[in-house]
Amino acid sequence: MRLPPQSCEWVDRSQPLGFRFEGRDYSGFAGDTVASALVASGASVLGRSFKYHRPRGLLSAANHDVNALMQWGGTPNVRADATPLIAGMDLKAVNTFGTLARDPGSALGWFSRLLPVGFYYKAFHNKRLFPLWERMFRAMTGLGRVDFATKRLHTPKRYGFCDVLVVGGGTSGLSAALAAAEQGAQVALVDENARLGGSTHGASELVDKVIAHPRIRVFTDAYAAGYYADHWVPLVERGRITKMRAHAVVVAAGAFEQPAVFRCNDLPGIMLASAAQRLIRRYAVRPAQRVVVLAANADAYRALQDFADAGIAVTAVIDLRDKVPGEQAARVAAQGIPLYSGHCIVEALPAADDKRVAKVRVAALGEAAVVAELACDGVFMSVGWAPAAALLYQAGTKMRYDDGVHQFVPGQLPDGVFACGRVNGIHTPESRLLDGERAGSAAAAYCGFGEVRDIAVKAEMESPTHPWPIVSHAKGKNFIDFDEDLQLADLENAIQEGFDNIELMKRFSTVGMGPSQGKHSNMNALRVLARATGSTPGAVGTTTARPFFHPVPMSHLAGRGFTPERRTPMHHRHAAAGAVWMPAGVWQRPEYYAVAGQSRAACIEGEALAVRNGVGLIDVGTLGKLEIRGPQAAEFLERVYISKYAGLKVGMTRYAVMCDESGVVLDDGVVARLADEHFYFTTTTSGAAAIYRELSRWNTLWKLDCGIVNLTGAMAAMNLAGPRAKAVLEGLTNVDLSLPFLAVREGMVCGVPARLMRVGFVGEWGVEIHVPAEHGAAVWDALMEAGKAHGIRPFGVEAQRLLRLEKGHIIIGQDTDGLTTPGEAGLDWAVKLDKAFFVGQRSLMAIAGKPRRQQLVGFMLPAGHQGDAPKECHLVIEGGEIAGRVTSVAWSPSLARHIGLAYVRPGMDAVDSSFTIRLSDKSLVTAGVVKTPFYDPDNLRQKETT
Amino acid sequence: MSAITFENVSHTPRAGVKGPGAAAWLAALDLPVPRAPNSWLPLPGGLIARLGLTEFLVEGSEAAKLAAPLAPGVYPVLRQDTALVLHGARLNELLLETCSVDFRALDLSTRPVVLTSMVGVGATVIPGEEGGMPCCHIWCDSTYGEWFFETLTDVAGELTQSSQPRHQGATS
Repeated sequence: MRLPPQSCEWVDRSQPLGFRFEGRDYSGFAGDTVASALVASGASVLGRSFKYHRPRGLLSAANHDVNALMQWGGTPNVRADATPLIAGMDLKAVNTFGTLARDPGSALGWFSRLLPVGFYYKAFHNKRLFPLWERMFRAMTGLGRVDFATKRLHTPKRYGFCDVLVVGGGTSGLSAALAAAEQGAQVALVDENARLGGSTHGASELVDKVIAHPRIRVFTDAYAAGYYADHWVPLVERGRITKMRAHAVVVAAGAFEQPAVFRCNDLPGIMLASAAQRLIRRYAVRPAQRVVVLAANADAYRALQDFADAGIAVTAVIDLRDKVPGEQAARVAAQGIPLYSGHCIVEALPAADDKRVAKVRVAALGEAAVVAELACDGVFMSVGWAPAAALLYQAGTKMRYDDGVHQFVPGQLPDGVFACGRVNGIHTPESRLLDGERAGSAAAAYCGFGEVRDIAVKAEMESPTHPWPIVSHAKGKNFIDFDEDLQLADLENAIQEGFDNIELMKRFSTVGMGPSQGKHSNMNALRVLARATGSTPGAVGTTTARPFFHPVPMSHLAGRGFTPERRTPMHHRHAAAGAVWMPAGVWQRPEYYAVAGQSRAACIEGEALAVRNGVGLIDVGTLGKLEIRGPQAAEFLERVYISKYAGLKVGMTRYAVMCDESGVVLDDGVVARLADEHFYFTTTTSGAAAIYRELSRWNTLWKLDCGIVNLTGAMAAMNLAGPRAKAVLEGLTNVDLSLPFLAVREGMVCGVPARLMRVGFVGEWGVEIHVPAEHGAAVWDALMEAGKAHGIRPFGVEAQRLLRLEKGHIIIGQDTDGLTTPGEAGLDWAVKLDKAFFVGQRSLMAIAGKPRRQQLVGFMLPAGHQGDAPKECHLVIEGGEIAGRVTSVAWSPSLARHIGLAYVRPGMDAVDSSFTIRLSDKSLVTAGVVKTPFYDPDNLRQKETT
Repeated sequence: MSAITFENVSHTPRAGVKGPGAAAWLAALDLPVPRAPNSWLPLPGGLIARLGLTEFLVEGSEAAKLAAPLAPGVYPVLRQDTALVLHGARLNELLLETCSVDFRALDLSTRPVVLTSMVGVGATVIPGEEGGMPCCHIWCDSTYGEWFFETLTDVAGELTQSSQPRHQGATS
C-alpha cells in the first residue's frame, strides 16, 4: 500500500507508470523499483523458491533478493528489488511451472524428504541413470530463460582513474569520500543504490556535501564487481563498465542484514527490517499493517520509529537477547508494545491462501513450549549483520572473527586498502561517521594528500549481531539458504555425512551457491558448522570470495572488445579480385580467389597450376620483416639462428631456423646480407611480433654493437613465381634478373626502391619483391598488368601451401609443434653445432647422439587411390598403436597423387617402406615413404637463371 | 555531427632513426633533440619526438634531413605509419574507452609522448590542446591503420549518439 508523500521519498508521483506482471496490469511511479511498485499495489508473492516452488515475497530488497527474480522479455533474472520501474514492462516470475499463482511445482515440497542434501551428487552417482537425471534436472531447474535470438550488445568498457575509490555511499563511505577529497585527493564514490545515503536513504547533509564537492565523482546505480591487483576495480553501471584504477581503495560496503532461522521463515510478509525501512522511506510503501518484530540489536529498536511513522502496528517485539538494554526496552514500553526478551519465533503460519504470513508462534529461547501465538501480516527481522567484505577478501585482507560484534572484521589490510563502517565492525551511526573520516583521511594521506588525521572511533558497546539466531524445528522448513531451499537439517545432515569443512559443506549442500552467493546464508551456515563440530565461527572461517561480487550481465562481459585486424597494403586489390579471406594470426589473407562457377578446390588447383605452368603472384607482406645493422650484426645472427651467417656473402640469402633454449624449432625465414654490417631477414607470419620481441630481448642482454628495426608493417612484399615470372618482371626493373638462386639485390621496381630476393619456396623461378608499404599496391598493380599477357593469376595461401608441399618445405607450427627439434623436422643440414654459440645449441648437442622421438617423412598414396584421403592430424598406426601423425596432406595436380608429410617412429622412415594411416571413419590406408621434394627433386626449376 | 574530428595526416613526410648514436647524429643535423625520453619538441611545420631512450621520429619537412649519411650507432627506421589527428570535446571519453593511459593526468607543458596500446594496437600518442579543446596526434603501424581508424570512428560515433544516462554527479 502506498503511503502519503514522505519527506524524502524517491518516487515521483507526477509520473505514473503502467506495467504488467504475471499477466496483470499494475502501476507505480517513476523512481519505484519493480518490487516496490508491486508491493505498493498489494502484491505479496513475487516469486517461487528454487527447489520446492514455495511462494516468496520480498526478503531484503537490497539488490540480492532471490525471491524477486523476474524475466523481462529476453532479459532473464531481472532483480526486481533493485531494477527501476519502466513504463510498459511486461514481467514474469522466473521459477514457476505454470503461473506464479498456480504452480504445480509446489507439490515438490511434499517430497522434500526424498530430496536430501547432496541429492544431485547421489543421483548422478549411478552412471546408468545419469542421462535420465540430467534430462530431468535440466527440465526442472534453472532460473531465467535465455533468448538465443538476442542481438549482440556492444556495451562499452572504459578506463577510469582516481586517487581514492570509495566503495559504498552510506554514512561511512560518504564521510570517507569527503575526508579524502578535503585533503586534496580526487575521489570516486560508487554505490549500488539509485541515491547515496545508505541507511539514511539519501536524506542527509552529508550527501549534499559529497555531491557538491568538486573533487568527488559519484557513480550511483553501479557496483564494484571485484577487486584486482594494484587497486583495479571494475565499476558496473547499467550501460557500461568502468575499469577504475585507484591509488587507494576505501571499502565502506556495509553489511548485509541477516535473516533469523525458524520454521517457515520464508513466508511472504516476513522480511528483514531494513527491507521494510527501504520500502517505507524510499518508496513510500507500507509493506504490512500489523507486524511482529524479531529483534536482537539496537537497529531493530531504531527501526520501530519508521514503522510507527508509516502507521504500521507492532503487535510485539520478540528479542532473542535475555537482557534488552534499558533504553531500547524503554522505547518499546513507551509505545505500549509487548516485549518478549529471551524469546524467539519458532514457527510462522500462513494465511489460508498461502500468500502471506498470518501468525507466529513464540517460545522462550531453547524451549519448545509455545508461550504466545500472535496474529500479524508481517514479520520484520533485525537480528544481525554479515559484513559485505568480498572486496576486502579479494584484495588479500586477513579477516578475523570479532567476538565483540560477532562478525568477521579486517585483521590486516593490504597496502592502500582501507575499511570503515559496518564492514569494519562499526555499526553505531555516529561511530560510522568518524570511522569513515578516519579511513578517508588515511587513504588520502596514503596517496600523498595531507596527513593522517588522528580520529578515535569507539568500539561497539553491544553486539549488533546475535551469535545464534537459529531455531530448530522437528518439521523443518526453517530455511538457511533461501536461494537453494536449504533447511537447517540439510546442513546438519551434510556435516554428519562428513562434509565438515566449510568449503566441502558449501559444495555438497550448495549453500551460498545461488544467485545471492550466500549473502543471506553463509554466516548462519558457518555458525551451524561451528556448533556441530564444536568449533567457533572464527576457526571455521569463510569460503573463498572470488570475483564477481555481484552478478555482471553477459551483455557487459561480452560487451565491446577489440580484436585488431591487420591488412596488407594490397588488401583491397585482393578483395576486388574475389579473395576468400582466412585469418592468419592477426592478418587477413586470401585463402584463394573465387572464380565464378568453380569450386574452392578447382580455384586452388587452378592457382597452383598457373604457378607451375605460367606465373602467379602472392602477397607475402604478412611475413615478419626485420633489419639489423652494425658491426656485430652478423655475430647477432650467428647467435640466434642455428646456421652460419658470418660467412654469408653480400648479395646472398640463406634459409634461417631459430630454436629456443631447449632446442625446439621456434621460427624460420630467410636472411639476406645487403652489406657487411647490414642484414634484412624475414620471420614467419605468426611469429613476427614474438620473434622481434625475443630478438630485442637478446640484443639487450648481449649488448652487441648492432640495432634491430622491425619493418614488418613498413614493407610490402610479394612473391612473383613461375616459369613466366622473369618475363613479367623484366620490363619493370633495373635489376639484372639473371641473378642466381638465393641472391638478393637492391634496385628499382616500377620506379620505387625495392629489395629482390631469389627464393624457391614454391619450387619455381621466383623472386620476392619488398618495397615500402606506401608503394605496395602500385607495384602489385603494375605486375598484374604486365602479367596479363602471360596469364598471371594471383594465388592465395592454400595454393602456396600445396606448392610448397610438393617441394617438401615445412611450415613452422604446422609441420612442427612445441617439441620438435630440427633433426626431427628433417633440418639436420641447417644445424651447425660447430659454431661458438647459438640459442638452443647446448640442448641440441645433448640430444645429438640419442635416439629420436619421431621423424618427419614424405609420403604418397598409391596411384589411383580411391576413397577418402588422410587429413592433417590423422594418426599413423603401427601394430595397433599410435606411431605418428600426418602434418600436411594434399592432392597434387602436378603429380596426380596424394602427397603429404607425417611424423613416424624412428625405424619407420626408410624410403620405399610403408605405413598405415587411420582415417576419420577408422578405416586404414597405406602410404609409401618417399624422398622429398616430391616435385622437381633436383630443384632445377627454381634454380634456373636464364 | 561528430563530437570528435579525425584528420588523416599519414602523408605528411616523416622519418625515423634509432640507435645509441642517434641523438648526437640528430644534433649534428641541427635538429633539436628532446632531452627526456618520451617527450617531443616542435619543428617548423612539424615535430621531433623521442620514443624511449634512443629512438626518434621526425615529422614534417625537416624529416628530409634524415636522408643524410648515417653515423656509427645510427639505424634508420622506415616510417610508413597511419597518422591521425583527433580533436574534439569528447576526445577524453574516446581515449578512456580505447586506452588504459590516464591522459588527463599528464602535464602537457612537459610535451609528453605516450607509447601505448589503443584498441589493442600499438600506438604512439602525443596529447595536446587546441582552441581550448583536447586534441591528440596518433601514429600506428599502417597495416593496422584501416581497422584502427574504423574502430576509433565507431567508438566516436557511439559517443556522439550516446544515450548513456549521466548518473548523479557523474562526470568522466
